[in-house]
Amino acid sequence: MLRKVVVIDGGFGSELERRGVLAAVPEDLNLTDGETVRCIHRAYSMADIITTNSFGLNRIKYRGKFSIQEVAEAAISNARAAGKQVFFDIGPTGGMMQPLGTLTFEEAFEAFSEIAACTKELVDGYIVETFSDLSELKACILALKAQTEKPIFATMTFDKTCRTLNGTTPEICAALLENLGVSALGVNCSLGPRELKPVVERFLSVSHLPVIVQPNRGIPTFEDGKTVYSLSVEDFMAPMEEFIQMGVSVVGGCCGTTPEFTARLAKFSGKEVEQPEPAFETVVTSSTRRVVLKGARICGERLNPTGKKKLKEALLKGDMDYLAREAIAQEEAGAELLDLNVGVPGLDEPAVMDRAAAAVSEATDLPLQIDSSDPKAIEAGIRKYSGVPLVNSVNGEGAVMDAVFPLVKKYGAVVLGLTMDQKGVPQTAEERLAIAERILSRAEEYGIPRHRVMIDTLVLTVSAEQPLVKETLKALTLVRNLGVQTALGVSNVSFGLPDRPRLNRAFLAAALQAGLTMPIMNPLDGEMSGTVYAFRVLSGEDVGAEDYISRYAGAVSAATAAAPAPANSTNASAVQSLSEAVRRGRKGEARTLTEAELQEKAPMDVVNGILNPALEEVGRLYDSGTLYLPQLIAAAEAAKEAFAVLGEKFERKGAGRGKVVLATVKGDVHDIGKNICKVVLESYGFEVTDLGKDVPVERVVEAVQREQPLCVGLSALMTTTVPNMRSTIEALRLAGCKTPVFAGGAVLNEEIAKEIGADYYTANALELVKTIERELLK
Amino acid sequence: MNYSDLNALILTYLGFHGKGNGETETLISEVLPRVDQAARFRRSEGRFTALPLFLRKEPYLSFLSGCSSVVLEAVTLGGEVDLLIRRISKEDMAAGVVADACASALLETLADEAEEPLGKERTYRFCPGYGGSDISDVKYILEAVRGDRIGITMQQCGFMLPQKTMAGFVGIGKTAQKSCAGCILSEHCAYRKEGRVCYAK
Repeated sequence: MLRKVVVIDGGFGSELERRGVLAAVPEDLNLTDGETVRCIHRAYSMADIITTNSFGLNRIKYRGKFSIQEVAEAAISNARAAGKQVFFDIGPTGGMMQPLGTLTFEEAFEAFSEIAACTKELVDGYIVETFSDLSELKACILALKAQTEKPIFATMTFDKTCRTLNGTTPEICAALLENLGVSALGVNCSLGPRELKPVVERFLSVSHLPVIVQPNRGIPTFEDGKTVYSLSVEDFMAPMEEFIQMGVSVVGGCCGTTPEFTARLAKFSGKEVEQPEPAFETVVTSSTRRVVLKGARICGERLNPTGKKKLKEALLKGDMDYLAREAIAQEEAGAELLDLNVGVPGLDEPAVMDRAAAAVSEATDLPLQIDSSDPKAIEAGIRKYSGVPLVNSVNGEGAVMDAVFPLVKKYGAVVLGLTMDQKGVPQTAEERLAIAERILSRAEEYGIPRHRVMIDTLVLTVSAEQPLVKETLKALTLVRNLGVQTALGVSNVSFGLPDRPRLNRAFLAAALQAGLTMPIMNPLDGEMSGTVYAFRVLSGEDVGAEDYISRYAGAVSAATAAAPAPANSTNASAVQSLSEAVRRGRKGEARTLTEAELQEKAPMDVVNGILNPALEEVGRLYDSGTLYLPQLIAAAEAAKEAFAVLGEKFERKGAGRGKVVLATVKGDVHDIGKNICKVVLESYGFEVTDLGKDVPVERVVEAVQREQPLCVGLSALMTTTVPNMRSTIEALRLAGCKTPVFAGGAVLNEEIAKEIGADYYTANALELVKTIERELLK
Repeated sequence: MNYSDLNALILTYLGFHGKGNGETETLISEVLPRVDQAARFRRSEGRFTALPLFLRKEPYLSFLSGCSSVVLEAVTLGGEVDLLIRRISKEDMAAGVVADACASALLETLADEAEEPLGKERTYRFCPGYGGSDISDVKYILEAVRGDRIGITMQQCGFMLPQKTMAGFVGIGKTAQKSCAGCILSEHCAYRKEGRVCYAK
């Protein structure tokens, strides 16, 4: 595709430094020293686009003395002095987004919305640059798009591993930005131009939009408080000219570049360049993993409560750790994306979807398929999603498409369409194809191109609708001929018949051959996953059968090979008894040995006769320094596993020994100590409500009022978060909660704990358990 | 760097005296390569021949007396390691604690290695917060070496993210040995009670 080169100006902060203008808040210079700012803008007037001096201007980062609006307006008016197009410059907030940090998506969104509101009438476009976090970038683009249709240029910064600081690749960045509808995308800052070549190549290999390259003047060094850039204009220009040859059409400079550099780039302004035109593919991503939907791709179905009692219970209890573990298990079994459905009657589905999507994305980087029939729940799942999610689903019904397509468009998602409508599932393949075509054309009307739609031709059970099974398969082939990728919930086929896996396997193989891209299935079923891997070999996708061989070399049978390896499988010596399994922290063996004990003994005898004495001994050895922290925790995990088996087989009377609420206080994200306490408490039979990290004061109060626990455990790592522990305790007391509070964490001791109003200080998890037993369970 | 070089330090962080036990050693050998793979060590430094203002107080002045210059530095393993540790903790808390110790040991060791080009005549890395110094001084270091460029942010309450991050400085022109003098924990320290120190390898 032919494009014309557009030139953006060069470094601003470094230009200030070079001119000896020192400012703690450079954005304030727009008002306090407007002439210097205008002078720099004028020096860059050979560029086509001038960017405002507003990089750090957002309410989270800005610490200047004016209002955001005052500075923004002055910045734009100063940039106008150059007489060129003015793009408003927006940098990241400087905060660390969740889950790594504490900044929320909505806080970032609000900060960027404020900028959009006061600039949208005054500028020609926006340049959103130097982002590392994909969800923060998404918050910014959404905030701008909500208020203006002006062009948005968006860039992220990459290191020599071709990833942003948070792990996003050029391909992932391009996929999301393209779907969100920016005008140009690419890379800025980062490294010098020569080191950026692989990043530029990768952007050009996937982007259908103009590609931006704005490198630094090499990698800076810092000497006596000065930032030193050493690259010459010639060394900068040589790779830049090569990039233009390769198809880059938006060029500029970042830190350290001066008007001299921009003048050289400006010589290319308006020059025609040929940008490669990569094929359109169906792509879903998380922030660090990209899945191209072609060939055969496994979508894990286990995060759907339909027919799954334990998942339903976990959702009702808000036990997100259960979801996280299910997600990890599916990833380890070979799933490439994960379906997430939280539809349980009586639950606030949007709220639970919000939390569940966050919890699952934190535990695994597989892209998610957000599965709901409630558009509000879909929006809750995809709005903050860091990447390109798959939405499951729409169907041929007009009202459904009108409710869901605007969300898919707005949030840059891919959507799955079911070939049914208000009249139900049509009998013939041709009718299903007709619905697929209707979905595709309606999507296009909403601005969602064909490659962002997948089609599910729907499986009916062979026991009830035997003749229709081959219609489903035929429809797959017809839909694939439209150039569209397909999906099926394969195991539905066997409902109501004995030995279902046998039918599922045969159907899966037939469906793959008929054109199925994405079976939605249980990846933990080794025979099913094995069928997919085998098909990849037979279809030629797995070239040289490399992947197949790496999975199955030496396998006895497909069923055992795809199952995740049991924990501690490399340990040489076998464990003889349940007591030993607990003492040595052997989780896997603890489960089977508990089951074996239950053949002969009553549950209470297993608890009192084996588990409790084993834990006692572990505690004693830990106290005496013969056994260490990892062993203590492993023993606790093994005991937990044994208690879980007991709980599965027998209704537990009451809540064991009592409830404990745990939280790492507001402002603190260090939660490893709190998590150790949780595991050890649970191993001693306590029921723990874990509020997580960075927990607002109100949530602790609310949980304590709701759960009426035996006690509350608060954790803080740093002296600077201890005040938040104090305010949490104060809020509890103010709300009339007399529940004893335990304080712990690296900087705490007896005196500090007393000082901030805690009832007890305990130095470690075991001491916590012992103190609760001694003081509260007399 | 060899994985076996890290073993002693990891065991120390986990509270072991000398040798670990079989199960823990197995966990380390499973978890350490994963931590290493997720880690993206990044470093930024800045050299000062004139002492920056924030270092012109105790205990820094004594620490740096006799030095010809000082190198400020920030190092991090990046955010992926934080996520990996959380993920491993969800599967198995014991493995999570081991992963956390592995990451700390890896960061220390990579930071030490990265200081080798500064020459033999250098002090150890002094990080604000230790030795009775003010932890909030970290912010001056992050500003001077542009910690944000390597993905380090400072939360309002003063701690740095990603979690496996250090900011400190090295004096050039003399050598110095680590000691417990001035450590905030020296009275309560579990290592010292056992006659050991936390920084021994």
